[in-house]
Amino acid sequence: MAIVRWKNNDLYDPWETMRNLQDEINHYFDMDRLPAGSGLFDRTNSPPIDVLESGNEFLINCEIPGMEKEDIELSVASQVLTIKGQKKIDAEDREKKYYRRETFSGSFQRTLSLPASADPEGIQAELKDGILSVKLPKKKEAIPKQITVKVN
Amino acid sequence: MNRKEESGKALEKNEKKRTRTACCDIFHDEKQVTLNLEMPGVSRESLDVRIDGNLLIITGSKKLPSLKGDFLIREIRDEDYHQEFTLDDTIDREKIQAVVKQGLVTLELQKKESVLPRRITIN
Repeated sequence: MAIVRWKNNDLYDPWETMRNLQDEINHYFDMDRLPAGSGLFDRTNSPPIDVLESGNEFLINCEIPGMEKEDIELSVASQVLTIKGQKKIDAEDREKKYYRRETFSGSFQRTLSLPASADPEGIQAELKDGILSVKLPKKKEAIPKQITVKVN
Repeated sequence: MNRKEESGKALEKNEKKRTRTACCDIFHDEKQVTLNLEMPGVSRESLDVRIDGNLLIITGSKKLPSLKGDFLIREIRDEDYHQEFTLDDTIDREKIQAVVKQGLVTLELQKKESVLPRRITIN
């Protein structure tokens, strides 16, 4: 007869806390805290971005809450993508009585050198719920091709 | 079963995503208190604002456009938002308005009529 360890899920498991702690720490290692793509002219106020790569395209997400399409400038010049914008403060805003102020206002910029395989011609951008997502297809020659090998 | 698998299972089990508080501005004028919360990735459907007694509870789940692939840079925290505020007696519980626009949640809490400044006519 095999001995099976008895485990009652309702009981408090002290190791669970340890495992959660482990996950928590791993989570911080997964995150790229330093803006790796920042260039010389980047300022400290740069919104966080995610860059994802799949087989045939790139996806860049950028968090810019509360900004309208008109206030954002997106440009690509020689494989460098620049996201620029300005969050304005109204004149009357200064007169308001603030209890707490944590949000940022002013101008920001983020530059990113695109991989050589990205094709800036087919760039598409969308702003939804305060997230700017930019889709960049890969150049045709960079898309992996499936080659069937015939065996005689 | 090794520990890594086990911890993966534990993660699946409690499924809930990590939560954090959003950046918040609070200001007031004579008639109302306004809260501005920055919650990028939260849409109208995924935002939940509740009042429970004296608590104003704001929960928003974040959704990012995604792609089946690998991260080259990852700076955006994939975390939901959860925040609680205590309301005092000057706030009219019936008159709370919430608007979400481009990830910016604006809550307007009207003050009760009884606490509004009144002009007293002199006879």
